[in-house]
Amino acid sequence: MRLPAGDARRAVFAPLDDGAMRSETVVRRLGSAIALGIIVDGEQLPSELQLAASLNVSTVTLRDALSDLRARGLVATRRGRGGGSFVVASQEALTELSRGRLRELGSTDLRELGDVRAAVSGAAARLAAERASDSEIARLRETLDRLASAEGGTEQRRIEGRWFIDVAAAAQSVRLTREEIELQFELGQLLWGTERTRAELDLALAGHRRVVDAIAARDGAAARARTEEQIAAVTSGLIEAHVRLTRQGHRRADHTGSYPEAAGS
Amino acid sequence: MIERVVERVFRSVAAVRDDLVAGYRAAGGRMCDSDVTAVREALIARLVRERSVAVGMGVIVAPGLLVDRPLRMEWWQADTEAAPVMLEVDLNPASVGFYDYAAAEWFTVPRRTGRRHVVGPYVDVHGTDRYLLTLTLPVLADGRFVGVAGADVPVARFETLVLRELGDLAADVVVVNVEDRVVLSTSPRWLVGDRAVLTDAPCRALDEPDWRVVVT
Repeated sequence: MRLPAGDARRAVFAPLDDGAMRSETVVRRLGSAIALGIIVDGEQLPSELQLAASLNVSTVTLRDALSDLRARGLVATRRGRGGGSFVVASQEALTELSRGRLRELGSTDLRELGDVRAAVSGAAARLAAERASDSEIARLRETLDRLASAEGGTEQRRIEGRWFIDVAAAAQSVRLTREEIELQFELGQLLWGTERTRAELDLALAGHRRVVDAIAARDGAAARARTEEQIAAVTSGLIEAHVRLTRQGHRRADHTGSYPEAAGS
Repeated sequence: MIERVVERVFRSVAAVRDDLVAGYRAAGGRMCDSDVTAVREALIARLVRERSVAVGMGVIVAPGLLVDRPLRMEWWQADTEAAPVMLEVDLNPASVGFYDYAAAEWFTVPRRTGRRHVVGPYVDVHGTDRYLLTLTLPVLADGRFVGVAGADVPVARFETLVLRELGDLAADVVVVNVEDRVVLSTSPRWLVGDRAVLTDAPCRALDEPDWRVVVT
């Protein structure tokens, strides 16, 4: 069993401070960690006691969360020696979890997320244009090349998340980088497990490349403006999807409806 | 002064490297996870000795070198007076938080050049999450690249050490690295981490690290 390691893992296992709906928060947090590859398929979760302590929830709340995750098919529990709770990275379960999240959030929550993303990622892009070294810029381009050839929506989202985090690191700011990690984590809860069409991915990719071009041209204003534009488009896509899912709320069992493919990232 | 700090840290790092080389030879070239763990005790002692300068120290093993683990680092951190703790990073390549050390400059440059290297300032994202200078040297044993040994010096701590030594010079001093990034500055006109292209100003080039000290 691995204990929290790395900044993304620390974010997963950090104490919860949002009081209400605690067991659902735990479910969402662990689901997000599975979607982002931070906890891998087949991995054993820490013991209930350890997990409850690190998340700062009661063992009762944690058990509720685990039983919810089991019901969703994201965790399997084995009893006896060598037993425990093990992760099952089920794509369908993750998609269903993110739809639920998109349904329960209000459009203002999604707008707020977009606002903070614009503030953090926009500022990071502007500062990166001033501060990024040539080798950091080359790395940003490499990441986008990997994104272009990545197979599968989940893999694409992870690489895209890393790209945003790398822009913040290129801005030479530890604090912006931490904020960006948190934001990507939150965003992941809404976007995971979804496929984009090739055209949609290409559109997002072209937008990211334009940001790197502005960074390379040392044009901070353009880097920021282009980042904000892209985030605004993603936010609109998420709000559209939210409204659609909420309006068809009575047909929840219908899995054939289209997911917010247009949401981008 | 700068060279003295760097030289001192590198001396400890070289001792850590020698421990790992000894471990590699003792294992007959077929190193396992536990052979890396064997350097731990001496490593922690060296880190504690250097903790006024270095915040972290350790070894990073070349991918695929160990017979029983693809990626491995033995890196310890000692902040202020607290007991040293091992740095735990995410070494799963599929994770959004993957610490891709084999692609990091502090790893690739010593591997490529066979020489020691100072990188930074940079944000050590997915690693220590600090703003750092990292000093590394290659670990070579019987012609084989085993990995790197290194130490982390927080940029802020480095600044304090150098500013103290500088005293009250009248002129402004700006230290820039090979990528024109400000490493240290006595003036808010140049912020640490900014790019400063100061080609016209009189400057002194350091031998190692490959930095320039500009007096304005």
